[in-house]
Amino acid sequence: MKLLNLEIIKLKKKTRSWLGPILVFWLIMIAYPLTVELSKENIEVGFFSVLWISILLSMMFATEDIFTEDYNDGSLEQTLINDAPFAYYVGVKVLIHWLLIGIPVSILSFIFSLGTTEDLFLSLLILPFSIMSSYIFLNLFVLGNALSLNKGSALGAIITLPLALPILIVLGKSIVAIQLEINYLGFMFLLLGSLSIIIVTVPIVVSFIIKAHLE
Amino acid sequence: MIKKFIHQFASPKTYLFQVERAYKFILYFSIIIYILSLVWGLLFTQEDFVQGNSYRIIYLHVPASFLSQSLYISMAIASFVYLVWRVKLAAYLVISIAPIGALTTFIALTSGSIWGIPTWGTWWQWDARITSTLILFIMYLGLISLHTSFSNYEKADKLLSWLAIVGAINIPLIKKSVDWWSTLHQPASITLTDKPAIDPSMLYPLIGSMIGFFGIIICLVIISSKYQILLREKNKSWIKDYV
Repeated sequence: MKLLNLEIIKLKKKTRSWLGPILVFWLIMIAYPLTVELSKENIEVGFFSVLWISILLSMMFATEDIFTEDYNDGSLEQTLINDAPFAYYVGVKVLIHWLLIGIPVSILSFIFSLGTTEDLFLSLLILPFSIMSSYIFLNLFVLGNALSLNKGSALGAIITLPLALPILIVLGKSIVAIQLEINYLGFMFLLLGSLSIIIVTVPIVVSFIIKAHLE
Repeated sequence: MIKKFIHQFASPKTYLFQVERAYKFILYFSIIIYILSLVWGLLFTQEDFVQGNSYRIIYLHVPASFLSQSLYISMAIASFVYLVWRVKLAAYLVISIAPIGALTTFIALTSGSIWGIPTWGTWWQWDARITSTLILFIMYLGLISLHTSFSNYEKADKLLSWLAIVGAINIPLIKKSVDWWSTLHQPASITLTDKPAIDPSMLYPLIGSMIGFFGIIICLVIISSKYQILLREKNKSWIKDYV
């Protein structure tokens, strides 16, 4: 609980770190209609693709310096030698980032979807998909950042981006399933299953990777 | 006795001296098998009823595709061995396999594109199998770039091993992509459980080309691993005996 509160305070203090990704998402979603012919059908055609990619990019920005400050000031090493498992610390960090960045981005996804498609059912279904996908992307980019801990976040993002592509494929197929009202729950459970595996394994793997950096 | 053999062979020195004896034989044998299979497949098998002569790229595309996935699995296994048992040779093999894996994946993608023109009327399609193979290619490049960005080899080996193990999730996705999604790419013609869907006159040269290609790639991995061992063990006294 102490760690949770500490991480919330740390992230809230760095306004750029949590507000920046939300604004990036907002900007992309606002800029998108400007790039297409202004008719409802044209905007709807590419909307969901842009939505998922915007979520992906904003989660990438969100994890840009997730470990950098702690690594530079030595608190990462201190946490490593604490009693609490290091994976727990990583899990808490990801959770806090998701609460402060992933959830607002997901709510904005619902709003933008409602505004673009004017379909409440579709937009309500976008919400759980956005929530789950933002958490999955956060975990994947945290993995990438751990791998390239002191080498800049771009390398890490590039390395782990291929792992996010299957999730994008599933998200794309899920929109088709929602629009045709066939088996969209199956895709939801598929994402939920992936998330439940990722949520457990990624913090453990990241803890080993960071230990390798610090040794 | 097996444990002793593994322990001995896991030494870079023993590995280097042992493969030095074997790999030229494997290379020449594989090249002969591959050339014979190619000649058989290109010149002496009949045309396909639907695809005509364009199917003959199968003798390059299928071995390359199969090996691109197999090499990644080998990397993941070697990574596991390195992380659990700290066998240095396993780490050298992981980084040796990565560029060869990238090469075979590139061959698979390129030959597939060439085959796509007469078969599907397009060089590229964002279909599950092709896209997941492209992801595999990018993963290989990511692994190579991760390893080269660290000057500390030991740290680079550990990070590379972790990424290789995590990325192995992509292999069942590629394998099953033709079954789980409705794809343009055909399902597997050769499976462990069913009779091959390919005519024996085409199947036998295909098996020969896979064996030959496999042998050639193994030799490339051996050459790459020899370079890694020479680079990393250059300060050891036994290297002078080898060189």
